Amino acid sequence: MTSDTWSEVAQRYLDGDGPPPADAAERERADRLKAALATYAAELVPPGAAVDRAVLEAVRARRTAPRGWWRWLVEPQRLAVRPAMAAAALIVILVAGAALAALLGPPDHPATGLRVAAAQDRTVLIRFELLAPDAHSVALAGSFNGWNESTTAFTRGAEAGVWTVTVALAPGEYQYLFVVDGRRWIPDPAAHAQVEDEFGQRNSLLVVGPRGVVRS
Amino acid sequence: MASGAARAELSDQDVVACVLSGDVECYAVLVERYRKAFGRYATAVCGDADLAADAMQEAFIRAYDGLAGCREPERFGAWFFRILTNQCRNHRSRQRAHLPLETIRAVAPDRADDGVGAAETRMAIAAALESLAPEHREAFVLRHVDDRSYAEMAQLLGEREDTLRMRVHRARAVVRQRLEGML
Repeated sequence: MTSDTWSEVAQRYLDGDGPPPADAAERERADRLKAALATYAAELVPPGAAVDRAVLEAVRARRTAPRGWWRWLVEPQRLAVRPAMAAAALIVILVAGAALAALLGPPDHPATGLRVAAAQDRTVLIRFELLAPDAHSVALAGSFNGWNESTTAFTRGAEAGVWTVTVALAPGEYQYLFVVDGRRWIPDPAAHAQVEDEFGQRNSLLVVGPRGVVRS
Repeated sequence: MASGAARAELSDQDVVACVLSGDVECYAVLVERYRKAFGRYATAVCGDADLAADAMQEAFIRAYDGLAGCREPERFGAWFFRILTNQCRNHRSRQRAHLPLETIRAVAPDRADDGVGAAETRMAIAAALESLAPEHREAFVLRHVDDRSYAEMAQLLGEREDTLRMRVHRARAVVRQRLEGML
C-alpha cells in the first residue's frame, strides 16, 4: 500500500462492510475522512419549501393549459441539438431534396440553385436566328460568353438575310444581345422578356431548361 | 380526496394515481417528500444551493409533465431521482459556462465558532467533488453525504452494486488525494 491510496481493508471499512484497518494510522485517516464528510453533509443547505410553492404554482397553471400533444404543438419547445447530428441531418435533407428534384423533373423556372445544380451536367443546343439582310456580320454576346462579341459569330444561312448560330447552354437564365456589324448592339425582338441591366441597358432574357428553351 | 395530513401518509402509487385523476394538489405530497429525501444530494451534486433549488424545481415540473409515462408509480422516487440527476448535470453545465469554478460553493457560510481547519476541509471536500466525473460524484454523494447503502444506491441509479462500489472507491481515492495533509 502506498501512502496516498486506501487499502482494501480501509475501503471496505469506509463502505460499512468490514472492520477497521489494523494499521492505526490508516484507521485514523479513515475515521477523519468519515468525520469530515459528516460535517460537510450536515452543513449542506438543501432546497427549501420555496421549491414546493414554485412547483405547485407551475403545475396548477398547467392544469388550465392545453395538455398532451396539443400543448406541445402550441407552446414554445426547447430543442437540444448535437451539432454533428444536425450536420448529418442537413446532409440527408439536401441529398433527399436533390433526389426528389431529379425525380420530379426540372422546374419551368430554375427557382433554386439546388435544382439548377442538379441539372448542370446537361447542356442544351440553342439555335439563334436573326433576319438582317443588310448586315455584314452578326455576333452573339451575352452573360454566357462574358459579353464578348468576338467569340460567337453568326453565319449567313441558306435563307436570304437570315443569320444563324447554335450554342450549347446549360439550363439557366441568361441575358444576351445581337451585335450587328460589330457596333450595333440590339436586343432580340422575338425575346419573351427584356430586362434592364445595372447600366440601364435593356437586354433580352433567355431561360433554358433541361429540355430546351423555356422562354425567349 | 383525503385531507393534507392523510395525503402525506399515502403511498407513492396512490399519490400518482391521485394526480393523474386530475387532483393537482396531490402532487404537493410527492414534492415535499422527495425534496426532503434528495435535497442534500442535489446541493452536493450541483455544488451550489441555489443551483440545486433550480434543478429540483425543474425536475419536479418535468416529472409532473411526464407522470403518465411513469410505468412503476410505486417507484416514483427512483424515477424522479434520475430526472433530478439529469437536471443537476444540466444545471451544472450551464452554470459552469457562466461562472468561474471558484464561485461555485456547496458549503454554508462559516459559522462564528468554526475553526479555520474545518472550513478548509469543507472547501477541500467541495473542490474534490467538483473534480470528480459526474457518475463518480453522484455515487460518492449518495454513499457519504446521504449515507445510503449500496442496495439503495443500486435501486436509485439503476446500476449494479459492484459498479457503484468501484465508482465510490475511485472517488474516495481522489478525495483522499485532495485532502492530503488534512486527514
